[in-house]
Amino acid sequence: MKLEIINLCKTYGEKEVLKNINFTFEEGKIYGLLGRNGVGKTTFFNSLNGDITINEGKFYLENEYGRNRLNTQDIGYVVSTPIVPEFLTGREFLQFYLDINKQKINDLKDIDYYFDLVKLNKNDQNILLKEYSHGMKNKIQILVNIIANPKVILLDEPLTSLDIVVQEEMKNLLRKIKENHIIIISTHILELATDLCDEIVVLNNKKLELIEKNNLNTKKYKDKIIKTLKDESND
Amino acid sequence: MINILIKSLEIDIAYAVNSFIYILRKMPIFKDLFTDDVYNSKIIKKIVGFFGIIISISRAIFLKFIYFFVIYFITYKLFPNDMVKAFFHIYFILTILGMFINNKLLNTSKKKYFSIVLFNMNANEFFRMNIFWNLLTSTILNSIIIYIFVDKLLISPTIFYTIIFIILSLNVRLIGETLNILYFKKYKYIWYTNSSLYFPILIVLLGLCFLPYINIFVPIKIIELTTLITIPLAAASIIYLLNIKNYRQMYKRLVEMTDVMNEKNEKDYLKQAMVEVKEKDKKIDTSILEKKSGYDLFNTIFFERHKEILLRSAKKYAIIALIVYCILGYLMINYSNYNKSIAELLHIKLSIFIMIMFFINRGAIITQAMFFNCDHAMLRFNFYREPQVILELFKKRLTTVVKVNLIPAIIIGIGNIILLNISTNNYSLLTYITTFLFIICLSIFFSVHYLVIYYLLQPFDKDMQVKKASYSFVTLITYIITYMLTKLVLTSEILSILGIVFVLLYIVISLRIVYKVSPRTFKLN
Repeated sequence: MKLEIINLCKTYGEKEVLKNINFTFEEGKIYGLLGRNGVGKTTFFNSLNGDITINEGKFYLENEYGRNRLNTQDIGYVVSTPIVPEFLTGREFLQFYLDINKQKINDLKDIDYYFDLVKLNKNDQNILLKEYSHGMKNKIQILVNIIANPKVILLDEPLTSLDIVVQEEMKNLLRKIKENHIIIISTHILELATDLCDEIVVLNNKKLELIEKNNLNTKKYKDKIIKTLKDESND
Repeated sequence: MINILIKSLEIDIAYAVNSFIYILRKMPIFKDLFTDDVYNSKIIKKIVGFFGIIISISRAIFLKFIYFFVIYFITYKLFPNDMVKAFFHIYFILTILGMFINNKLLNTSKKKYFSIVLFNMNANEFFRMNIFWNLLTSTILNSIIIYIFVDKLLISPTIFYTIIFIILSLNVRLIGETLNILYFKKYKYIWYTNSSLYFPILIVLLGLCFLPYINIFVPIKIIELTTLITIPLAAASIIYLLNIKNYRQMYKRLVEMTDVMNEKNEKDYLKQAMVEVKEKDKKIDTSILEKKSGYDLFNTIFFERHKEILLRSAKKYAIIALIVYCILGYLMINYSNYNKSIAELLHIKLSIFIMIMFFINRGAIITQAMFFNCDHAMLRFNFYREPQVILELFKKRLTTVVKVNLIPAIIIGIGNIILLNISTNNYSLLTYITTFLFIICLSIFFSVHYLVIYYLLQPFDKDMQVKKASYSFVTLITYIITYMLTKLVLTSEILSILGIVFVLLYIVISLRIVYKVSPRTFKLN
């Protein structure tokens, strides 16, 4: 399966943010999307997810059965600030979610299976989401996006504010599910990108650029990424 | 669709019950009564849920009842001799107003965000369910309440007008939702977030509610005819609404929704949007700025960036006033009964202009813009809080606000003079002068008033929520006094002279207080 982006352009007023982006993401890989502040990473995600009107561009999903336009149902989008219905308990929220989407979910499991997946214990399941920490809310948000089993998962700064243990749990979860998905993670943290991601893509001069590793060791690879990011500011 | 409706209601109930238990747990008496596991207890949740449903149904009935009661009360108090005609008139105008402002489908709410984005509900089914449920509940409520008021209190025993109003309400709701969506599809924003469209419609229609003051009522025949005409339009609207295929995309295009969720409070967002700098105002004609410097430049840039909510808006009011005066002039020239009643209104009930000038003054919104788009950030700097800076900027702001608000005021003032002149009665030169000056004074008064209370009470917190109770109190009192003053029946000469003296005194005193106190009061809360 491939996600093809063809000629994506997005401007805000007269400011050009994304310009003629052509790129292909492949299944089974976690992509780290890096870019300086305000360069347009969230705009890129919002464009894919259909949250904003783009000026130009098409998105296709291609698999062995053919090539189809990317549909919002194909995407799971985990936003940087988790937004959850605060006055439902974690268990109620998930139960409602499963009830509503049971026909869309292949291989529907018991609710406890899903809680085990994100290691959320019984007590925490029955308290209001309002009382959840940022990390717990993020877990719930990531969880519902995984259950829906969308082909493409976009995560906007998903692990930044999580503690180290939860970060590791989430990383393992993402590694576990990457086989059948195209996962794109935007982040500011270079270490996270190089540690978790199979490919690093830099949003540079309004375009996406794949940073090839080419047998470089981690230090040299990081230097190469930083050099690319700096080039952007000189432009 | 029924499943979506049931699930949606279940989520609503669970949400409401949990919120209620959460609040109870915060109270000292109940604190120890509920354990941490309370949200998992089915019995407690069923009991609370049952009472919750009863309370929310009663609340909906009560609110609807209050709405009708207010109309009934106004007609009873103000137009006791023409109660039926006045009730029908006001209800008809408010129903039309509802068509413009009571749009439910495209407004952003947490519930919609949760349902469509988080719970991944089928957006088309969700919206259709919303249309169905909204119409069903409001029609049931309308039927009960309209029956009580129209049939029992007014023209017993006919049920004809009850049915007319129920059908009319239903029709305009459907047409309103459709127009709202069509507008959104064409212009990519919801029309009522554009204050320069929203407020004129609101003011004109609210103003029309008071036409019975000058013995003008919407004829019953027009109400019947409107009901009849809107039936096919409503039917077309249903077909259109049910056939929209891209509700999800449409709703997602409301980018604001995410902002709303991040902002936690959708009202904050609406307030921000209201004072947002419009795209076309971002570029300023630099020739205006060339000879300016310092705070003069600072002030000019601010008002140039807010042309939409201040200057252009004032011009729009001026144009609306011009149109209204042309119509009134035409009526006075051609119909002697209008000639008499309008001239009487200008001569004896000039006090009504206190309310009109209150509503068209841009003072309230411009102070919000000042805070949110300027002072909110600038007040963090020490140099901006220096007394001489505060006063210098206050003077510059006051001059600009007064000038801008004078644009519609001058049109209204001149309009009044012309209408008095058209009238068959003979008025003295004093009447002309005082009537004109009264309007000008009112305009200056409200401009000064809003800016003075902004500087003295500095009412907003950083999220634009009104924070200080004193500010809310002063604005409420302003409204009440304004309303009460409209009751005054004095000849325009006496009212104008009293008004002018009061306004001059108010300006002198309040400005002295501002000069003395504002360096202490004008700061971030």
